[in-house]
Amino acid sequence: MSGSDRIKSVVIVGGGTAGWMTAAALSRALDRNTVRISLIESDEIGRVGVGEATIPPICTFNAMLGIDENDFLSKVQGSYKLAIEFVDWTRLGHTYLHPFGDFGVDIEGVKFHQFWRKLRGLGDASSIEEYCVPAMAARLGRMARPVPDPRTPLSSMRHAFHFDAALYARYLRAYAEARGVVRHEGRIADVALDGESGFVRSIAMADGRTIDGEFFVDCSGFRGLVIEQKLKAGFEDWSRWLPCDRAVATQCEAGGELTPFTRATAREAGWQWRIPLQHRIGTGYVFCSTFISDEEARATLLANLDGPPLVEPWFLSFTGGRRSKFWIRNCVAIGLAGGFMEPLESTSIHLIQAGITRLLALFPDRGFDPVEIDEYNRLMTSQYERIRDFLVLHYKATERNDTPFWERNRTMEVPETLQRKIDLFRRAGRMFRYEDELFADANWLAVFIGQNVMPETYDPLVDAIDIEAVRDKLQRMKTLIRRTVETLPTHRQFLQTHCAAAPPSAPRTSAYRA
Amino acid sequence: MSMAPDPGKRLRRIVIVGGGTAGWMTAATFGRFLHDGVTKVTLVESDEIGTVGVGESTIPQIRLFNRMLGLDENDFVRKTQATFKLAIEFIDWRRIGHAYYHPFGPYGLDMDGVSFHAYWLRLKAMGEAADLADYSVQSLASHKSRFMRPIEQRNSPLSSIAYAFQFDAGLYARYLRSFAEARGVGRIEGKITGVDLNGTTGFVESITLADGQRLEGDLFIDCSGFRGLLIEQQLKAGYEDWSHWLPCNRALAVPCESGGSRKPVTRATARPAGWQWRIPLQHRCGNGYVYSSDHISDDEAARTLLANLDGKPLAEPRLLKFTTGRRKKFWDKNVVAIGLSSGFMEPLESQSIHLIQVSISNLMALFPDRTFPQVEIDRYNALMTFEFEKVRDFLVLHYNATERNDSPFWDYCRTMSVPDYLANKIEIFEAHGRIFRDNLELFNDTSWFAVMIGQGLEARGHDPMADVMDAGELRQRMEHIRTTIGNAVETMPEHWDFIARNCKADPVAMAGA
Repeated sequence: MSGSDRIKSVVIVGGGTAGWMTAAALSRALDRNTVRISLIESDEIGRVGVGEATIPPICTFNAMLGIDENDFLSKVQGSYKLAIEFVDWTRLGHTYLHPFGDFGVDIEGVKFHQFWRKLRGLGDASSIEEYCVPAMAARLGRMARPVPDPRTPLSSMRHAFHFDAALYARYLRAYAEARGVVRHEGRIADVALDGESGFVRSIAMADGRTIDGEFFVDCSGFRGLVIEQKLKAGFEDWSRWLPCDRAVATQCEAGGELTPFTRATAREAGWQWRIPLQHRIGTGYVFCSTFISDEEARATLLANLDGPPLVEPWFLSFTGGRRSKFWIRNCVAIGLAGGFMEPLESTSIHLIQAGITRLLALFPDRGFDPVEIDEYNRLMTSQYERIRDFLVLHYKATERNDTPFWERNRTMEVPETLQRKIDLFRRAGRMFRYEDELFADANWLAVFIGQNVMPETYDPLVDAIDIEAVRDKLQRMKTLIRRTVETLPTHRQFLQTHCAAAPPSAPRTSAYRA
Repeated sequence: MSMAPDPGKRLRRIVIVGGGTAGWMTAATFGRFLHDGVTKVTLVESDEIGTVGVGESTIPQIRLFNRMLGLDENDFVRKTQATFKLAIEFIDWRRIGHAYYHPFGPYGLDMDGVSFHAYWLRLKAMGEAADLADYSVQSLASHKSRFMRPIEQRNSPLSSIAYAFQFDAGLYARYLRSFAEARGVGRIEGKITGVDLNGTTGFVESITLADGQRLEGDLFIDCSGFRGLLIEQQLKAGYEDWSHWLPCNRALAVPCESGGSRKPVTRATARPAGWQWRIPLQHRCGNGYVYSSDHISDDEAARTLLANLDGKPLAEPRLLKFTTGRRKKFWDKNVVAIGLSSGFMEPLESQSIHLIQVSISNLMALFPDRTFPQVEIDRYNALMTFEFEKVRDFLVLHYNATERNDSPFWDYCRTMSVPDYLANKIEIFEAHGRIFRDNLELFNDTSWFAVMIGQGLEARGHDPMADVMDAGELRQRMEHIRTTIGNAVETMPEHWDFIARNCKADPVAMAGA
């Protein structure tokens, strides 16, 4: 049973974050003596990666590789992320946090937010953020890693990172190469398919080399060199729900406080990201080209920087959506080759990770069983669709009517799966997580409340519990959280103590440009 | 915008129609949570109408329910004549003479991110794997008639013991009744003779009892059993018939004197036209033959049942008739069906009480006020449909994956077409022994693996990731797991000794059943 049918060579097409994350994970999981892993990349082709923001599952990925967090952060100019701050989404002048971590604790089996909602109706003006440890730490610019002792509020800290994606790719490249992954530098001229089976047989390089493989991972980015250009996987276009199709990105000098959160500021025809790294800030304006010109978008971006720009802004084009099939025959697409959604909830790297995890769970042999391939496609489709719904919520649940872009979003028809979630929440704050869904109740709650989808009423079971006792309990909880957070070091202090990066040595170049 | 909800919309009265396990589990939950006096809860039951509950077997989730109520476990075990359960023992299912356990806890342990299942399949392909049961604390302890509660010691296999109970359902209902009544739930004895619906909305407004008493309610819980007094007879919710997949439609049940095996298990033995349960309690043993009336007569079934008891029968066998399937709507208007009124599947995986529990917890999560928003009712029905269908598919697996061809019943089961979800699960398993759990699905990877292997499904290969480990190291680590489990089980007390020391029930006056 074992042996003859096993895959002996894997070819990863494309470097970048997706390519090197895949290479690192496969080099960790496969036996280097029996499986050859190659990665093809061209120095001529730029990377899309700018400053990247992540979500907590990245910690699991790094732990799987056995990466030391301090070492990793110091090598990628990394900083911590406890939340995303959304500015001007609900209405101009409004701000809310989407933190990692739970709000309060359930009481008598009833969800915390139901009590919060009742007290709010009774005139209590507390923000729900005051009951969330990472949210308060983000507000006060503090940082701590979670501690295992469940009695302290610090047990509910959760974090992710901001880092320089190109430095992360370089870090993983060193990891993968040390574990036997072979890197081939050069441009790809063609992809050869087997005439009979349609399987990918080899990659023809521009310099005449041929790289054979049994299994191919397409990490070539938007264009999908193998999955789309050769295997014609098809693309499901989601731009009716996610209308942004352009981005203009740059980097600027850091100024002021090093915030332990990503900021997303709504603009007249899209939104601007702000990702603080140790040495600089990555920022960009994601916009819809129907509503604003490139020149205007560039001017808006440059008018909203923390410090002087370090590079000339550059433009990217994309279509929101996913590949109709992620895996066809002996090729699986990971990263932008699999689909694209704007990084509003920092899901880009997570989707790479989700692709890798499911690939490891369904790692093929040379039989390439269609049942397993279908299962992979089903799992990834649901992963993409549930994230899509969460992103669409941000555009839909708004009071903004100050520009045609927001007018369009506010009045659009949303996917039925999302509409049901909104209806259930708006009525009495009910939430149900769908199968295999990335975002949990706490995430939905933050955005629902943040964007003012306020439940009309609360769970009737709340009325069976003495509200004065609950009020006291919540008051104590709030005080305890604030006091605990105030004792923590600032984000900058924490980084300096544990994982300070060396100042960047090389003069900045346009190496990251697409 | 931040208007306080209108307390005037809260339910004023809930009427639970029917006692029995479903009725009293629901009543106890309401008693536990609706204790501020605004919502009055009344349960109507008739002493004339028997309840179906016999010896009942459960799964570990029942412990969450009991803990939610705050019950003391030893007290509960004593009062319900309960025994402990670590597994189900399936006999003669794959073929006559074959037996396997479906344990509650995991096999072995995952290594380097690869599942234990994959390593076991690889070792099996190498011809060196021990019986799957040897890698499970629960299976091995079952086999050796041992039991203890888990200990808090992270590296010990004894820390992962998950268990459930076998108990007398009638005593459990009585136990919950005193719990509920102590918390304000009212009980009215009487037969229901009439039901009034609102002419415009079709909502149930009231029920009338034989003595003329009229009971109004805002919400009705239909726990009336198979017949579905409100959900079906009044609201015509409809029934989805699953008997092409689950063809058994009758059961004969009989208690007998204790005797024989003292294993902490429920036993399910395949018979020519169905299967027989054996549920050991402290004071007696519950038995029953579930069968298809197309394939065997009632008399013959009774003879088979009585010929296969561990002790003297304590009553005449009682006949039950049913159709497997589910109510098309579990919740319609202001009526929620819980228990047998919501659907029926034979208790092959001891899921009956669990389905009651899931109904209650979904109802609590969507607890209504008097506006009864359709979007919430739809959600409830979607959740319950999922739950029922996933359980159904797991049950169908037991019948379909068999080598038995010794009777027309088993020929039918072996060759029938199965639901798509199950067919897909089997296909994926047969490729490389992989199992994917849909998020909310009740039975987990261990359960599917236990039954798939137990019923003789063959995976053509195993997860290639399991080949990364050097063969010598694999042998050594698997052997280490096996001996660690074997040694741990040797330290466990005998099942009935454990009961005698911790939670022995009073002997009962045996005045018939």
